[in-house]
Amino acid sequence: MIDWTANYGFFLNEEHAMLRKTVRDFAEKEVAPYIQEWDRKGASHDAGMAEHMIPVIKRMGELGFLGVCIPQKYGGAGFDYLGLAVVCEELERVDTTLRVILSVHTGLNSLAVFQWGNEEQKQKYLVPQAKGEKIAAYCLTEPNAGTDVAGMQSTAVLEGDHYVLNGEKTWISLSDLADHFLVVAYTDKGKKQRGMTAFIVERSFEGVETTPIHGKLGVRAGNTGSVVFKNVRVPVANRLGDEGEGFKIAMTALDNGRYTVASGATGLIQAALEASLKYSKERETFGVPIGNHQLVKRMLSHMILNLETSRMLCYRAGWLKNQGIRNTRETTLAKWHATVESFNAANDAIQIHGAYGFSDEYPVERYLRNSRGAVIYEGTRELQELLQADFALEERSYKALRCELPAYDEAAWNE
Amino acid sequence: MHAVVCVKQVPEQNSVKITPDKKVDASGINPIINLFDEYAIEEALQWAEKSNGQVTVISLGSDDATDSLKKALAMGANEAVLISDAALADVGAQGAAKVVAAAIKKLGNVDIVFCGKQSTDDETGQFGPALARFLGWPQLTYVFKVHELTASSIVVDRALEDTLETVESSLPVVVTAVKDLNEPRYPSLLKIRKVSKQPIPTWGLSDVGLSVGDLGGTIKISDRVPPPPRPSGEMISGDVQTQVKALVQKLVESQVL
Ligand SMILES: Cc1cc2nc3c(=O)[nH]c(=O)nc-3n(C[C@H](O)[C@H](O)[C@H](O)COP(=O)(O)OP(=O)(O)OC[C@H]3O[C@@H](n4cnc5c(N)ncnc54)[C@H](O)[C@@H]3O)c2cc1C
Repeated sequence: MIDWTANYGFFLNEEHAMLRKTVRDFAEKEVAPYIQEWDRKGASHDAGMAEHMIPVIKRMGELGFLGVCIPQKYGGAGFDYLGLAVVCEELERVDTTLRVILSVHTGLNSLAVFQWGNEEQKQKYLVPQAKGEKIAAYCLTEPNAGTDVAGMQSTAVLEGDHYVLNGEKTWISLSDLADHFLVVAYTDKGKKQRGMTAFIVERSFEGVETTPIHGKLGVRAGNTGSVVFKNVRVPVANRLGDEGEGFKIAMTALDNGRYTVASGATGLIQAALEASLKYSKERETFGVPIGNHQLVKRMLSHMILNLETSRMLCYRAGWLKNQGIRNTRETTLAKWHATVESFNAANDAIQIHGAYGFSDEYPVERYLRNSRGAVIYEGTRELQELLQADFALEERSYKALRCELPAYDEAAWNE
Repeated sequence: MHAVVCVKQVPEQNSVKITPDKKVDASGINPIINLFDEYAIEEALQWAEKSNGQVTVISLGSDDATDSLKKALAMGANEAVLISDAALADVGAQGAAKVVAAAIKKLGNVDIVFCGKQSTDDETGQFGPALARFLGWPQLTYVFKVHELTASSIVVDRALEDTLETVESSLPVVVTAVKDLNEPRYPSLLKIRKVSKQPIPTWGLSDVGLSVGDLGGTIKISDRVPPPPRPSGEMISGDVQTQVKALVQKLVESQVL
């Protein structure tokens, strides 16, 4: 059997290989045996908030996955940004809900605090998050504002040493399980994107309420919901960055979140391919295994092509992060390609499985349902497409940021 | 306390394919630590942690067995030694035990050796007992619980075919572990980062004071066949009543019930 993760030595080293084995071992032993049951449970309309995920997240925290690429002095494991991709690939190879945890907790929230937070904020929020003692979420989307971020209605009004936060965020992953929320709201609506500010809000603050969303097509084993902020008093010390920097913070957070989504989607393509290869050898029609039929071979070949191109695009984005080079273009390209192709791979995997693929006795229909969300969240397919052309037509370019994501520095990460 | 754990790198069972010319297809093999050795590592680590002791892992194998040694180091072992020598390519369990015994003597001051009850590739189950003989130490095989381990003695439960035995032994001693002796931990991410770059000392035959003549007989595998494919199952149709009736009848017919 081909090891689909081999021969990436130009990006990955022995450390990554050991990390991969550890994460795979965890996901296969501690999640794979239960995932069908959890996924089924999540389909019900009174599914609750996926409480079964609480011990799983705790375990991932103890094992260091949640702070994999955070420096040791902030409670992390000190791997580089490619390590984050490896973890995401292996988690989503088993189930998307596992990778979603890395996306919002690590990619969108923790790395934003790492990039933009002051030392006090890093000690107070990043350290417990990197260790997995506290769970973090990211709140940008609102009932009436997704792609059009500027359409948001949440507001934060400064009153002395507090901001008073009001608004509703929805489709928030881990909404009911998180302790800390990174929230973007208007402090000056007239200034549009430049009038947005980011805050770290704790669940324990008065006026924070969350409710799970039921009836989801995918990520049923995980928790997604709404967060309502009603006159929540947020200390000024919990403002992340300056007033007016909220949009930039939200977008740079997405540079990291999308990277985790793309890497995860790569893992899902691999899972679809592995399931399809196995079935292609087992199932026989017309006296031969179905893998002997050319049209089945074509589906397998396309999965392989898209697996490897997705993986390379992801690793390139990760390599750029390691170098401290801005990578919105490369990351969105990876995210667009990997997520769209993960849906196609899952779709073909169902085709290869015939009627059995249409049943949840096999995992491939779960892959399809799970892959669909990633074509929408963290920037829809259309948004990623537009971005590519915008960069090429020079309608979009990078402007220097007050705080860049630090380049990976092994010595500093080991301190 | 200084514990040594003997670790064998073996192919993951479902990854082994046999080529038409009766060789093992190396390309498809996923190398892992022998299942029973993982329990041995964990047990050694737990007792070493309690007594501020040391754990050294030893593997006799090809150069790529460093992968397994590094995993053991990332789990928490302090030192690792690879024994690798072209002369050991076809060595059997007895010869391997002799070489590892010599290595353990070379390390010196070893109080206890943990190994798995058998390896999942050769399945001879001889290594642990042979090692005890070459060391001249008592052996406690099939251990499923270690009650007590002090500087001078150990109390364990042994799982025998139809008896459970509680045994006390003096140290030094060789212990072989069965499945579920404990729950092996995952490697720590911080340690992975440390050990991935760590060179592992490699000892050849002469480093442990032996030569080819000391090894005794070698083993040659003269034939290899894959196990016969399992016959496909039979689906029983009908409503639950009919299905259960038919199933029970089949179980009785095949003398399962
Ligand atoms: C499972 C899941 C988890 C999520 N988790 C989070 C989370 O943790 N935090 C968070 O903040 N959000 C989260 N979201 C929300 C997600 O980011 C948004 O759904 C996404 O940004 C799209 O916004 P929307 O749903 O409002 O769609 P809309 O913005 O209303 O878009 C609708 C359609 O119009 C298209 N469209 C919009 N504008 C344009 C344009 N200019 N040109 C071309 N086409 C356009 C879109 O591509 C899309 O096809 C999650 C969503 C899902 C499904």
